[in-house]
Amino acid sequence: MTVLAIDDVRKTFNNGEVAEDILKGVHLALNAGEVTALVGASGSGKSTLLTIAAGLQQASNGEVIFDGHNMTDMSAEQIRQIRASQFGFIFQFAHLVPFLTVEEQLLLMLDVAETTLSKKAQLQEVDRILVLVGMSHRKQAYPASLSGGEKQRVAIARAIIHRPKVLFADEPTASLDSQRSKEVMQLIHDMTKELQIATLLVTHDEEMLIYADRIIKMTDGLIN
Amino acid sequence: MNLAWKDMKKNKVRFFIVGSIIFLVSFLTFIISGLANGLSQDNAALIKDLPKGYFYMNADADKTYNLSKIDNETQQHILQNEEGAVAFSIQMGFLNDQANKQHSVAFVTATDSEFFAQVKQGEVLLDSSLQDKGIHIGDSLTNNQLEEQLVVKGFVEQKKFSHAPVAYIHQEDYTHMYRVQEMQLVFIPNTDVKEFTGLQAFSQKEFLQTIPSYNAEQLSLNMIIWFLVVISGLLFAIFFYMMNVQKIGLYGILKAIGVKTIKLFKMIWTQMLILSSIALALSIGLSQMFSLLAPNSMPFHLTIPAMLQLAIVFLVIGFVGATISGLQIKKIEPLQAIQRGEA
Repeated sequence: MTVLAIDDVRKTFNNGEVAEDILKGVHLALNAGEVTALVGASGSGKSTLLTIAAGLQQASNGEVIFDGHNMTDMSAEQIRQIRASQFGFIFQFAHLVPFLTVEEQLLLMLDVAETTLSKKAQLQEVDRILVLVGMSHRKQAYPASLSGGEKQRVAIARAIIHRPKVLFADEPTASLDSQRSKEVMQLIHDMTKELQIATLLVTHDEEMLIYADRIIKMTDGLIN
Repeated sequence: MNLAWKDMKKNKVRFFIVGSIIFLVSFLTFIISGLANGLSQDNAALIKDLPKGYFYMNADADKTYNLSKIDNETQQHILQNEEGAVAFSIQMGFLNDQANKQHSVAFVTATDSEFFAQVKQGEVLLDSSLQDKGIHIGDSLTNNQLEEQLVVKGFVEQKKFSHAPVAYIHQEDYTHMYRVQEMQLVFIPNTDVKEFTGLQAFSQKEFLQTIPSYNAEQLSLNMIIWFLVVISGLLFAIFFYMMNVQKIGLYGILKAIGVKTIKLFKMIWTQMLILSSIALALSIGLSQMFSLLAPNSMPFHLTIPAMLQLAIVFLVIGFVGATISGLQIKKIEPLQAIQRGEA
């Protein structure tokens, strides 16, 4: 089932007097329970496409349809609400809040997503997700005491705790070693299947493509 | 979730430093304010201790009380018709003690009134600061304009005028000393301003401005106080700005995952409120302690309402400073924060 559809999306950046077309009319559909990998050389437009799909920047032309609603017609507040409650994000760096424990990072995300769960149910959900990502033993740890792989696991937990419909993962293994990268990708793959999330993965690392259900190659702002 | 408190708990040293600076600046402001008020009391306690009301002097005295002479007819008319009205005079002068040492005083005489101490002819009631200079009850004091001696009848607390201790004397003695029959001023308490032919009305604030040196002294001290308040405002803004700059990446990520901008503003405001409240409470406590420990010769007077007024001003400028520094949060693009990498 298609959760998010990108229809003829174009993006033009103006560098002084020169207009540069980064995306030249991209069509893409993200389906529930599927990892879609976007690959391509640097500057091919894959990260720009991901950020437009995630509502982090506006397309110059075209439509982004989420759950049947055109996001390009929405206000900034409506897009923020979707980002908070329906989308999950994993970045190249974990970007955890340095003054919150692992448990608090996840509770914050539930708070941001305006969950209707009771306090007790929230704590149970945090425990459940931490078991899923193998981090329950570091529940009270602060980010500074976690390894790179552990931070990224917490970032994954934060991205899925509120049961998003779409997961955006932009180079999630770029700062990890080979072993940690495989573990993290396996986790993203498993979560996608278990929670029936539509995952859009941007990566340079071809070794990680074995975890994708669909591989889409981008060249010069177009899908091949 | 209380992000503000969790941030402060985890970064105690950083917030302690900012809080210490707020405390030091506010404490300094309270001390200077206490000294300004103390000097003001030292200059005009006699007038400031009177209840709310209006002072009247001759319209042609050019706002100089010691040039004012209120004629007897007008004085009698006012004293008979206005409840609580009192006529009084003030003159700067000297008293010589038994060792012939000269002491500068402000001679004050008044008609019967609860607001001015009354003495019999040949007696004097002095401000207690003269007691510290070796004058005792029963001492006979002299003045070169008065043939008779003045016997010290007692002391009153904190009655000063133009930085000189007040000496209450009888009207007859005053008349002999200064060779004037008329009083300089009339004070009518607890009323609105009234019109009397030939007299000019002054509120307490306006009358204080007619005291030589009072205005210049208070202007300088108030300028220092408000400079400190402005400097504190700038410090608030600069320190919160610096802390926010360090957290731009974090704020960007929080915005990317859907945290509302207003929640981030609330975080900054809460931190400002907690820091300022603790710093101001400490400043208020210590300045009250200072007022108890300060030597008697140091004029220090800081009332609770004056401190609360300053504390409110500090909180307002803290709020403005934190808000100005927080405006950059509005400008943060989540995308830029993501691309910046780990903070």
